[in-house]
Amino acid sequence: MSNEVIRREEFGDVAVLHIMTTSVDTNSATAIEATATLSAMRPITVLDFANVAFINSAGISALLKFVVSARKTGHKLFAMNVSPHHQKIFKMVEMSRFMPTIEERDLASYR
Amino acid sequence: MERVLVNIPSNPIFERVVRASADELGHAIGLPPDRVEDLKLAVSEAVNNAIAHGNQREAAKLVEVIFVLDADKLEVCIRDEGTGVGPVDFSPRFVEEQNLDSGMHRGFGMYLISALVDEYDVSTSQQGTVMTLRLYRKEISNE
Repeated sequence: MSNEVIRREEFGDVAVLHIMTTSVDTNSATAIEATATLSAMRPITVLDFANVAFINSAGISALLKFVVSARKTGHKLFAMNVSPHHQKIFKMVEMSRFMPTIEERDLASYR
Repeated sequence: MERVLVNIPSNPIFERVVRASADELGHAIGLPPDRVEDLKLAVSEAVNNAIAHGNQREAAKLVEVIFVLDADKLEVCIRDEGTGVGPVDFSPRFVEEQNLDSGMHRGFGMYLISALVDEYDVSTSQQGTVMTLRLYRKEISNE
């Protein structure tokens, strides 16, 4: 069984980072943060939450590392396949201002 | 009234055990799916707080979680074995640009609890801290 937390997919100027853990929480935060390097960013970087069933505040803190790296590199960061509950949470903490959602079909033109 | 008791060591991996219990019990009493998600997140935050700030991550210290189910609500009491904590700040916290730049990315947990449950309170002393969360089954009674 693979222990990878993020599976990376790239095409053109786009990097899609598929989050593979179902829980973005205290236990997975360190591994997630470790992948949020400046070199991981592309002009369009997308975090894919399709596999994510749970996010807590420790997870939000880890995800904010991607926001910081995107800002430092001047690249755009988006979220994809975010559940309605997680959209609500992102809105509550105003994370969605820094990581707006994007639809998978919007990436088709980059492939 | 029915009670379910879960005791975990102060290791964050066991927070997932409490969260799974919250999931089962939330569904068992008929909370709507979105309220079950609210419950799981609020319980997760309270348990992680008890582990990190109450018990100072001393694995030998337990976090006791009591789920009390009755006709109109689910009450969750989260008790640590620490020596008390200072005032708990439940005020709204948002991602702010200046905090991003300074690396201050934490502190959303208590705000999320306050926003996601119907009632909450905290009592703290040198014998430990107890956080109580309540979610009412009002959606059911309104049907």
